[in-house]
Amino acid sequence: MGVTILLSYPVPENKTGPQTAELLIKRIGALGAVQSGQFLVDCETFSSGPTMGGPPRTVHVLHNSEQPAAVFALLESPGPPPKTVPLVADGLFDLLMLKMSSIYASKKQTRMEARGTRFEIADFLVKIGTVTMSSNFKGVLVEVEYRPCFIAGNCWELMREFMQSFLGSVVQNTPPPYFQVHNRLNDVYQPLDTIQQYLDHFASYRKVAGL
Amino acid sequence: MNVELDALNEALKAVSSLRSCVGNFFLSLSQGVRSEHGEDHRETKYILELQDLVAEISSNMRKVEQTCSNIPLPPDGQINLGNTAHLAHETTQDRQALYSELVGSYKWTDKLHEISNITFGFLAQNVMKRSYNSYLNSSGMNAKRRRLTPSCHNMSISSVEGVITAIDRQYQDMNVNVYRPHPSNCHNLQIQVSLGRILRAVISFRGMMIEWVKVKAYNEEFQTDSGQLGQLDLWTNSRHHVFRKITENANAAMLHFYSPTLPDLAVRSFMTWLHSFRSLFTDTCRRCGNHLLCAMPPTWRDFRTLEAFHEDCKP
Repeated sequence: MGVTILLSYPVPENKTGPQTAELLIKRIGALGAVQSGQFLVDCETFSSGPTMGGPPRTVHVLHNSEQPAAVFALLESPGPPPKTVPLVADGLFDLLMLKMSSIYASKKQTRMEARGTRFEIADFLVKIGTVTMSSNFKGVLVEVEYRPCFIAGNCWELMREFMQSFLGSVVQNTPPPYFQVHNRLNDVYQPLDTIQQYLDHFASYRKVAGL
Repeated sequence: MNVELDALNEALKAVSSLRSCVGNFFLSLSQGVRSEHGEDHRETKYILELQDLVAEISSNMRKVEQTCSNIPLPPDGQINLGNTAHLAHETTQDRQALYSELVGSYKWTDKLHEISNITFGFLAQNVMKRSYNSYLNSSGMNAKRRRLTPSCHNMSISSVEGVITAIDRQYQDMNVNVYRPHPSNCHNLQIQVSLGRILRAVISFRGMMIEWVKVKAYNEEFQTDSGQLGQLDLWTNSRHHVFRKITENANAAMLHFYSPTLPDLAVRSFMTWLHSFRSLFTDTCRRCGNHLLCAMPPTWRDFRTLEAFHEDCKP
């Protein structure tokens, strides 16, 4: 698992989301990328009912097609102090959540997914996807993974150069906010970090009023 | 031979001009009547143009036939293999075609002989080899050469280990693990080197001489599937293009630093060169100033100055 940077590409005023995705796909194709399948990251949110007692807690259950045998669950407990507990489990966890429907109720209308195509170019893996929430378009997410390196601090400059070559000035010169906390730049990168980045972006998309 | 080549070239040129004429004709045909033909008598002008093209094609065709007839045939048409020609007088023609097959195989071995002579000339120019025999020796020189034959693969195991531990101590971020696959054979040694959190390499020694280098990512293992203790998997390539390229460069470096007279200097220089890869993902290329060229970081390190270059930027 290499270092993965997730970026939200702003959709220009005169274009639709799928058109923007097409434009990015054309750009990455011009760099010599080879299409290698589809990808899907989805997130379902469960919130605890009154039977649990205390403030309501939310569980986000995410799946990533890159790790098909794993299910990621993030429990947000509001406090005090507010903390997020991550869990990586295998496929049976989904069935477990179904069994617990009396305690944790799923909010079907807030199911978000990012779906699109994945491209490989040398040791980079690029995924360009559109984010939808119950069939409403929310935004375009670009995920870039550099497989040989798993320390973010080592290859941030390299990845920034690569991303700027096809995304342009959308890419900032400083690492994304996810990497600037907790010394994450020097830690070994895990698939859970990708999932947490997706969750952060999904949360910001949810806050934006309906598109 | 030159006369034949000239005639052949003429014929090939004639064929290519014929092909371009035919191509032009079909292009014009597909485009139909165009605006360049003006307003009046458009069809007549178009037909005239097509007729011109057809006339050009027929003149090119005549030229091709002429040049082909100029190519000289090989002398005697058939190679004469002496008494074996009597084999062709077999009464039933369909029983065997031995003579013609004989002629074919003779021609083939002749060509093979010629090509291998030329190849030997090319390969002899390559000095990147470490064999101890020179095939061009006369027998009188052999005794003297044998005395000067380098024997860096015959050194004692303790001196080799001494050099390796010195290198281990010298570089803080380079860790060395020693494996001995054949305890009985004291001249073979394998070390696994990990550099920072960037890469892992296995280096196989024969005495003091480096024989084999394989470089992989830090999180890729060198274990064999059978799980035998102490056995390293030396042959599986890395999953990543970067490290496959660095393996090739490391093999080039191993050959470059080979020195029969100063074997431990060779090993030390190689290790210093390998150590320069700790900045693989952070360095920019010295020539173009970028991190990436064709989505690859600079994987070449200059042998003297240890500067980073891309594969295509190296001087």
